[in-house]
Amino acid sequence: MSRSSTRPRTRRALAAALATAAALVLSACAGGPKAPTELTDSGKEIDSLTVAFPGSLSNLYIGQESGILNYYLASTVQEGLVGVDAAGKFVPALADTWETPDPTTYVFHLRDDAKFQNGDAVAPEDVVFSLEQAADAKASPSTSYYLSSLESAEATGDREVTIKTTKPDAAFLSNLSSAGALVVTQQKYWEEHQGKVGTADSLLLGTGPYRVTEFQPDSHVTLERVDTWWGELPKTKQIRVDFIPDENTRLLAAQKGDVDVAFNVPINQAQQWEKIGGGRIQSVNDLSYVGLLFDQKVKPFDDPDVRAAIAASFDRTAVAEKLLRGYGEVATSIMTPESLGKAYDGDAARELLAQVPQHEFDLDKAKQLLEQSGAGGFTAELTYPNTGPQLGIAAQALAENLKQVGVTLTVREIPIEEWLATIGDGEHGLSFMWYFSTTGDPAEINGYLVGPDNPNHFESTEAASLLDAAGAAADPKDRIAKLLELEKLSADNTVNAPLWWGKTIMYFSNEVGVHEFSPYTFLGPWGTQLYAAEAAE
Amino acid sequence: MPQKQPNSRESRMSRVLVRTLAIRLAGVLVILLLISFLTYSLVYLAPGDLVKNLLGNRPSSPEAIAQIREQYHLDDPFFVRYLDWLWAALRGDFGVSIRLQQSVTDAIASRIGNTVALALLAFVMAAAVAIPLGILSAAREGRRSDRAFSALALLGLSAPSFALAILLLYVFAMLIPIFPAYGGGADPLDTLWHLVLPAVALAAGIGAILQRITRAAVLRELQSDAVTFARSRGLSENEVRRIALRSALIPIVTGAGLILTFIVGGTIVVETVFALPGLGSLLQESVLFKDLPVVQAVTLLVAAVIAVITIAVDLSYLALDPRVRTKELNR
Repeated sequence: MSRSSTRPRTRRALAAALATAAALVLSACAGGPKAPTELTDSGKEIDSLTVAFPGSLSNLYIGQESGILNYYLASTVQEGLVGVDAAGKFVPALADTWETPDPTTYVFHLRDDAKFQNGDAVAPEDVVFSLEQAADAKASPSTSYYLSSLESAEATGDREVTIKTTKPDAAFLSNLSSAGALVVTQQKYWEEHQGKVGTADSLLLGTGPYRVTEFQPDSHVTLERVDTWWGELPKTKQIRVDFIPDENTRLLAAQKGDVDVAFNVPINQAQQWEKIGGGRIQSVNDLSYVGLLFDQKVKPFDDPDVRAAIAASFDRTAVAEKLLRGYGEVATSIMTPESLGKAYDGDAARELLAQVPQHEFDLDKAKQLLEQSGAGGFTAELTYPNTGPQLGIAAQALAENLKQVGVTLTVREIPIEEWLATIGDGEHGLSFMWYFSTTGDPAEINGYLVGPDNPNHFESTEAASLLDAAGAAADPKDRIAKLLELEKLSADNTVNAPLWWGKTIMYFSNEVGVHEFSPYTFLGPWGTQLYAAEAAE
Repeated sequence: MPQKQPNSRESRMSRVLVRTLAIRLAGVLVILLLISFLTYSLVYLAPGDLVKNLLGNRPSSPEAIAQIREQYHLDDPFFVRYLDWLWAALRGDFGVSIRLQQSVTDAIASRIGNTVALALLAFVMAAAVAIPLGILSAAREGRRSDRAFSALALLGLSAPSFALAILLLYVFAMLIPIFPAYGGGADPLDTLWHLVLPAVALAAGIGAILQRITRAAVLRELQSDAVTFARSRGLSENEVRRIALRSALIPIVTGAGLILTFIVGGTIVVETVFALPGLGSLLQESVLFKDLPVVQAVTLLVAAVIAVITIAVDLSYLALDPRVRTKELNR
């Protein structure tokens, strides 16, 4: 993202045009009783913005805690070697250029003006050190998996870092961005805090446009803009992120005018947020995937007919359009259309993904499949996390349909922490999979759900070799072709039942505009994307 | 010689007092030990997996899982883990929070101020309103004002604190924007301002209980033989009431002590609604995360505070009632 900040001066004019265009788009999205508001960049500075998060962060370092909110926060404070633009394509971040002389070697040239927020220049050794820490299971349990193909990282020149992988890995470059696994920090700072970074005491040191000046878990994080960033100075001087866990309190705070930007507005409250005078909501696909997961170790879900019957009992169109009120798109595959962005535009991607075999909603077929399986009218439980009420609504709809084919499904809400432990635990045969991709890499989710050690306990050498072949493919289109075969394998065996691709709903006060609102905006230096808005004449 | 008499009596009384206190404190220590074991067991047995909480819903390498299991001794037998914790705690080391990667004492220190201020404010509000209303209710038993106060108490008792909190927010932060909607405030005065609505939400329920206890206690005393006798002696109504109130003090103080312990539990809900960083929200998050070091430390702290309040209430009987004083200190 942040094309305007990559080449700031030449992009300034375009930014204003984009802002107006974005405002038009958003007013189209918002709907509701208010007249559409057309916003434009006033060019003024913003002293302070209050951003509401729906939950607290415990640690700011993504290697330690890696929820989607952690990524949002870290993305405007720390950078990787590369970044991702609004369309999902790679753009320079700390490295201004890079080459791949062979499929397992990457050579990065650091930008000359790269500085940490304490004013020190970024040395190649800091990059190497940060990468080694990110790949270390002890220092960074959350990110180490993504860098498992890292063989070595070396400073090979004053401004040069050479990274080698153990095998060709097409997803590797994505992981060298702040949306993946690499957030560059200073070795000196890390050692001063004995590796305990991202806490209330140590805060966070990075190279991004904002630095963390205060962090109090369960309360807030304060970010201040810095002049050490290589791009243009952001318009907003201070961003205060408040953690407001109660959704009613959050809504009241926005109605009162205390909140300028709110992340993850709940779908069931979207209409109330829409009505807030002086504000608007905007929504965009957020690279998330919701599907059903069948644990093949648990009977009767070891039977492909039972799995297909359940998949055929879910009315994806009705759920996406009516229950989710359009804030979800029927998923035809595990890969999201946006994750194909490096090779295909949205329409082409959707067309390709629709070619994956589908389990259409058909209760007669479901009944027939169940009879065929001999499983009869069994009873099962479907749990959903308290943070995803939309999953609960979908679960109830599925339970109603299953009742008609003789299956009793009990639906239960549990705390997200308890829910996490149920995934692939060998006890819960039917579960939801709710996954937020951060890198937007096409293999991120299906690799997890169909590849080796998947939570469905689906064992397939074919899946493993397809993933290897996809990893080795140099051309993005060839890679996607292999991943489509993997999706077909999953669909033919009903390993997973894709339900919908999620959308994030955000609230903005009309005094704040955002230049480019895309699935990737808040996974890059988003502080630079915000501007002081005024109604267009 | 005759002057020595009261001195020796006093020193005997203070010896008895010290002994009573020592026994009570020893009892508290045993209870704390039991609570620590119970809490540890419950969190250990509760559903959830620390490894998944740390890694989230994403693929993870076997090395990362093994690393976490080793780091937090998850493969050690239950008793070994508990005794390790106990041994460290006895030496004053409460460990590091798994969720916050911060020492448990620091995590508690940064939040305790808010919770103590919130609890005290709620207590003062509840006591200042409920006790006078309870007395008034008793004095006007059966009259319209008594019925009105009782209805008010019923309302406070039956309204769930989260619903009341949202209602208060809607009215006093939104419609009549006097108070802030959420957060802990920047300086002490601002913090106090931020604590008003949460304290009211917390005080309503417990104030209602205190009003009922006070009313019942005063009513009972007003109908007692002592009061009837006082009236028969021709004492003025004010003097009669003073006698009744003095006798009713013990149940009222007991009630007040009891509700102070309720407040501690109530902070969990109220802190979450008002997004206040305090011990209640810390405890809730830590229980869900299975962050045992924090859960243990906060639970013990709360239990110790409740024990101290109970002892203080018991000691207050000595000051309030000469009969108790004589009986307890002359044993």
